[in-house]
Amino acid sequence: MSAVDTAIPTPKKSPLDVVIAPRTENEELISGSEAIAHAVRLANVDVITAYPIRPYDTVMQYVSKMIADGDFDCEFIVAESEHSQFEIVKHASAVGARVFAGSSGVGWFYAFEALAVTAGLRLPMVAMVGNRALDDPGAFGVEHNDALAVRDLGWMLCWVSTAQEALDTALIAYRVAEDPRIFLPCAISCDGAFLTHSQSIVKVPSQAMVDSFLPRYDRGDKRLHPDNPITIAPQVNEDWLMEMRRQSDEAARRASDVLIEAYRDFNAKFGRGGEPFIERYMMDDAEVALVGMGTMAMPVKVAVRKMREQGKKVGFVRVRWFRPFPTRELQDALADVHAVGVIDRDFSFGSAFFSGVLANELRSALYPAKKKNQPKILSFIAGLGGREVSTGNVMKMTKTVFDAANGVGTDAQDTYWIGARE
Amino acid sequence: MNAPSPTLLAAKDFKSDTKPVWCPGCGDYGVLTLLTRALADLALRPENVAVVSGIGCSSRMPAYMNCYGFHGVHGRALAVATGLKVARPDLTVIATGGDGDGYSIGGNHFIHACRRNVDLTYIVMDNHVYGMTKGQSSPTTEPDWDNALMPGGTGVRPFQPLVIALASGANFVARAFSGDITGTAEIVAQAIKAPGFAFVEIMSPCVTFRPEQREWKELARPSPVPPTDDPARAARRLMTDDGFNIGVLYTGNRKPYQPATGQERKPLNALAQGFAL
Ligand SMILES: Cc1ncc(C[n+]2csc(CCOP(=O)(O)OP(=O)(O)O)c2C)c(N)n1
Ligand code: SF4
Repeated sequence: MSAVDTAIPTPKKSPLDVVIAPRTENEELISGSEAIAHAVRLANVDVITAYPIRPYDTVMQYVSKMIADGDFDCEFIVAESEHSQFEIVKHASAVGARVFAGSSGVGWFYAFEALAVTAGLRLPMVAMVGNRALDDPGAFGVEHNDALAVRDLGWMLCWVSTAQEALDTALIAYRVAEDPRIFLPCAISCDGAFLTHSQSIVKVPSQAMVDSFLPRYDRGDKRLHPDNPITIAPQVNEDWLMEMRRQSDEAARRASDVLIEAYRDFNAKFGRGGEPFIERYMMDDAEVALVGMGTMAMPVKVAVRKMREQGKKVGFVRVRWFRPFPTRELQDALADVHAVGVIDRDFSFGSAFFSGVLANELRSALYPAKKKNQPKILSFIAGLGGREVSTGNVMKMTKTVFDAANGVGTDAQDTYWIGARE
Repeated sequence: MNAPSPTLLAAKDFKSDTKPVWCPGCGDYGVLTLLTRALADLALRPENVAVVSGIGCSSRMPAYMNCYGFHGVHGRALAVATGLKVARPDLTVIATGGDGDGYSIGGNHFIHACRRNVDLTYIVMDNHVYGMTKGQSSPTTEPDWDNALMPGGTGVRPFQPLVIALASGANFVARAFSGDITGTAEIVAQAIKAPGFAFVEIMSPCVTFRPEQREWKELARPSPVPPTDDPARAARRLMTDDGFNIGVLYTGNRKPYQPATGQERKPLNALAQGFAL
C-alpha cells in the first residue's frame, strides 16, 4: 500500500449477494473455542499460525484436529512465539491469503509489535483473543485488559457471549475486515474458560451458506505479488505518517456502516445475528440500565429477569462491538434512563474517576448526548481474574444504581469494586 | 563463586516447604533433588544463590527451592539472570527452565547468553514437549512424533541445543539425565564452578505427555570419552551422537564477561552541563 493511496474502491455488488443458499445447519454441542475453529474452517482460511497459551490453545487444538481428520486444508504453522505467529499471518495477508491467529493474556502482549503494525499497514486478519489476566505467573482467569490494549490502534474489537455468537461473529469479521473499504484487522474476544471451555448447542452452517455470505479476500492492486510491484511499509517518517494515520481513521469510521451492511445480510441469510453493535435486554421501559460485555451477560440477564419479576424497571445493554464504538446506539439505548451501572471486567488504574475502560468510554460517548438530562454513570469493577459474579452481586449493584437515580447516597462518578476483599 | 561457609548445609536445606505440583514420576523431581544436592556439595549458602526461571512446569523450580528465586515471564529467564549477575557478581546465579521456554520463545536469549559468556549456569529440563500447556510439540520434539495436537508430527527438524551452545560460545557444555541423580549433581556442580556461561541440558521425562520417555533410563549412558577443550572435536562428537551420551562434552577457556563495576566514570551532571540551554 503506498502512502499516497486515498481512493479506496467500493466493491462491486457480488453476484453471490443475491443467492440465498438453503439453510442447512448441523446442531452440535461445542465450546466457544470449537465454534471459532468451525468458523475458521468454514471461512476456508489459507494460513493459520499458533503458539500455545491457555485458554486460546483450545482453538489450536480443534483446528489441528480438523486438519488431521481431513475436514480442513490450510497452512498450519506452529511458530516459536506469539511475535512470530502474528508476523507470519500479517505478511501472508499482504500477499492475499486469508489468515487466522489467536492468543491470550501475555501471549497477545508479546505479539504487540506485530499487532500495532498490522493495523497500521491496513492488513486484514481475524484474531481470537481468549481473554486472560495478564500474569504475574499463575493467573489464568478472564480479564479484558489483554484485548482492550489494541483499542487505539485501528483494530476492530468485539466481545461475544455465546459459542453461537462466536462462530457467527467470526464470519462477519472476515467479511468486514477484508472489505476493501476497510482493510483492518479484527479481534474477537472470548472470555477465558466461561466461553472458551463451556459447551452449548451451536448451529454450524453448511459450506454453501457461508460461501453465499463471505466472498473471497481480494486485495486488488494492494496485493503484494511479483506481477504487481508495490512497496508495503515504506520508510515515510514525518513526510507521510500523518496522512497514513488519517487513512486508518477514515477506514475505522467507515467500519460502522460496513458492519451494519454485513449484519443485515447475515440476518437475511442465516435468520439470526441480531442488532450489530449492542444487545438490548428488557430495556423498553427501563429506568436504570446495566451495561457490560461478554459472558457478564449471563448473571446479569438472570438477575435482571428476577428483578423485573419484583417490579423493578431495570434493563441491560450488552456492548458487542467495542471498536468501532457504538456511540450513537448507546446514546439511543440509554436516552431515557436515569442512571447507568457499567460493569467492567477490566481496570484502568489512574483513569478518570478510576473507572473501568468501558465506563469511561461510555461516559465520553454520552457526554454530548443531552446536556441537561445526563444519566448518572456508575462504574463497577467485577469478576477480575475470573472471579465469579453472582446474581446477588448484580442485584446489589443494581440497588446502588437505583439509589444514584434517586439521588441517594452516591456521587454520580463513583467507582465500586465488587466482591474484592478489603 | 562464594567462599565455602563454615557450617555445611544438606540438600534438604535448599528445598522450600512448598510441595511440587508436578505429576507423579515427572523427571523434574530428580532435577530438584540433584540441584539442591549440588548446591550443598559446593558448600554454598541459600542467601548467596539465586535461581531464575521463565514459565513452564520446569520453570516452577524456584518455588520449590530455599534460596533467592525469580519466576519471570515465558522465555526471559536468561535476560533476568544476566541482569542479576552483572548487578550482583557475588551471587551464584542459576537459570532453569524447559525446552519450550529456552529454545522456542526464549531462543534468541540462549544464543546471546552463550556469546556474552556471563558467569551463569543454565539448566534446561528438556522433555521434547510443552508440558504445561498440555503436550504440544516443542523445538526439540522429534519431527515424526504423532500426537493429538500435531497429527502426523511437525515434519520440522529439531533444534540442536548442544550444537548451538557450542557454536555460540558457551564455556561449558554438558548433557545429563534427571534419573541419574548422583552423576548429574556432579555435572551441575562442575557447571556452577566453571567460569562463564555453563549450559547443562538435562533430559527430564514428561511422563504425562511423553510416557515413552520412561525408556530414557535404559538408553542414557555415560559418554565413553572425557570432555574436550577443542570445539571442533566437540562438534564432531555431537554430529555422530545418538543423543543419549551423557557427561561433560566441552569445557572452554573464554574469558567470562566482566561487569564494569567501580570504574571511573565522568559524573552525569558534568555531561548534562554541556547540553544545558
Ligand atoms: C508469552 C507467553 N506465551 C505462551 C505462554 C504459555 N506457556 C506457558 S508454559 C509454556 C511452555 C512450556 O514448555 P516448556 O518450557 O518446555 O516447559 P515444560 O512445561 O515442558 O516443563 C507455554 C507456551 C506464556 N505463559 N507466555
Ligand atoms: S506435564 Fe509433564 S513436564 Fe509437566 S509436571 Fe507433568 S510430567 Fe512433568
